[in-house]
Amino acid sequence: MDEQGKKTHLYRFHAQNGKIVPFAGFQMPVSYKGIIPEHMAVRTGVGLFDVTHMGRVVVTGTNAEAFLNYVTTNDVARLVPLTAHYSVMCNEEGGIKDDFVLSRQKEDRFFMVYNAANRLKNFQWLTKQAANYSVNITDVSDDVAMFAVQGPKAEETLQKVVTKDLSEIARFKCSWTKLSGFDAFMSRTGYTGEDGFEVFIHNTPISNPRNAIVAWNTILEAGKEFNIEPCGLGARDTLRLEAGMCLYGNDIDENVTPLEARISFVVKLKKEDFIGKEALIKQKTHGVEKKRVGLKVLESGIPRFKHEVFKDRMKIGYITSGTFSPLLKRGIAMAYIQSKYAVIDEIVHVKIRSKQIKAQLIKFPFYDPGQYGHTRKK
Amino acid sequence: MVKVKDVEVPEGLCYSKDYEWVKIEGDKVRIGITDYAQKQLREIVYVELPAEGDTITQNEPYGTVESVKAVSDLVAPLSGTIEQINTDVQDSPETLNEDPYNKGWLLVIKPSDKDAELKNIMDFAKAVEWHESLS
Repeated sequence: MDEQGKKTHLYRFHAQNGKIVPFAGFQMPVSYKGIIPEHMAVRTGVGLFDVTHMGRVVVTGTNAEAFLNYVTTNDVARLVPLTAHYSVMCNEEGGIKDDFVLSRQKEDRFFMVYNAANRLKNFQWLTKQAANYSVNITDVSDDVAMFAVQGPKAEETLQKVVTKDLSEIARFKCSWTKLSGFDAFMSRTGYTGEDGFEVFIHNTPISNPRNAIVAWNTILEAGKEFNIEPCGLGARDTLRLEAGMCLYGNDIDENVTPLEARISFVVKLKKEDFIGKEALIKQKTHGVEKKRVGLKVLESGIPRFKHEVFKDRMKIGYITSGTFSPLLKRGIAMAYIQSKYAVIDEIVHVKIRSKQIKAQLIKFPFYDPGQYGHTRKK
Repeated sequence: MVKVKDVEVPEGLCYSKDYEWVKIEGDKVRIGITDYAQKQLREIVYVELPAEGDTITQNEPYGTVESVKAVSDLVAPLSGTIEQINTDVQDSPETLNEDPYNKGWLLVIKPSDKDAELKNIMDFAKAVEWHESLS
């Protein structure tokens, strides 16, 4: 490992074409052409992301379903082979240990993709909780290249380089395929709000990057007619924020529950015992004191992490992530505010340095879902 | 004008180590950010400036410039009273990326202690040397 961090298969491409920053122990591209053009390529055409830094484990064994149902909040029994779902793991208090996408590759083989920053923590947690289950947990993070192909032109781009008929893969469905001749696993998932795919090239260690580089270049070539852009972490952040999706470490962490984060669709309180269930049932009964909301700034100014939120001059919460929205061309943010003020369309104020800036509570996503995102009308 | 590692450093200006340039225009001074600064920031999307009539003080922050990801203070290269602010850059912050030395100017001030304070910042020759030392 390099002093500044690990490199992915595509490091040379990133360094030659983009600006490198340290991120979660890796040297990753923050942007190439610019965050705004990369962001817009994904909203209007297609973008390609190297997300190989993410943590990935394979869970196998006859007990795999029961084990994952115990450590995660979503209902794994409902996950039939070749489907995926978004989910979280909680601690006993209901605080979120991490959020991730879980795919069922086969009846007794699951594939979990979680945040790079939590790689070690999650692996240790999973291993510890698995003591009473007959399962194998293998960290394959360093042996799998992972790319995200995102945007309204993602399907057309990828279709040119994979054997599988992509029109047969619905959102959150998965498939095995050949990608420029290599065996690959893919899911119709992503973290941009757009339609798109995440592709995994297994058995491709970073020390032998050839297949990953060939696949990356093949996808870039295939997307040329749609003006594909390689996209960095900067655009990944602005895209997920516009889509209303949480960033672990900012918008969610172990001090926040999925109910407060308003991702309760991943919590299935009716299933059998799981870690955090008791605390979450209690919280659901009593109600949450704070909630995650979306804020659209109505004046000029960009809300940022830790800025405070006010209602009638009273502090009611704080920003957990904020940015300039390339699509809306104004400041947008996620904040946790006292539940009683969490009413759509209400006006609040964000304290940005010395000024109180007017902002409106909005429903996620920040864009018009009929015009952008995977729900857009074609 | 010279180019130091792709960064433009025009002659005839003075420079502060807070990445601002100063242009003497008679008894007034025009102020802006350098090409190096805009290249570091990239994609500038917001500029916050004080009002006309406000005073600024050498080495102290007077405003803010933000890119998509980062927030940076604007630090005054000289002290004085603001005579004019560039409202065009507030409406179109990308002007700071496109033309930092001309259309992207930020303030015109009436300096309060120009001769003494100019000694604290760099002339063209020193600025070229300094830019060479920046990575």
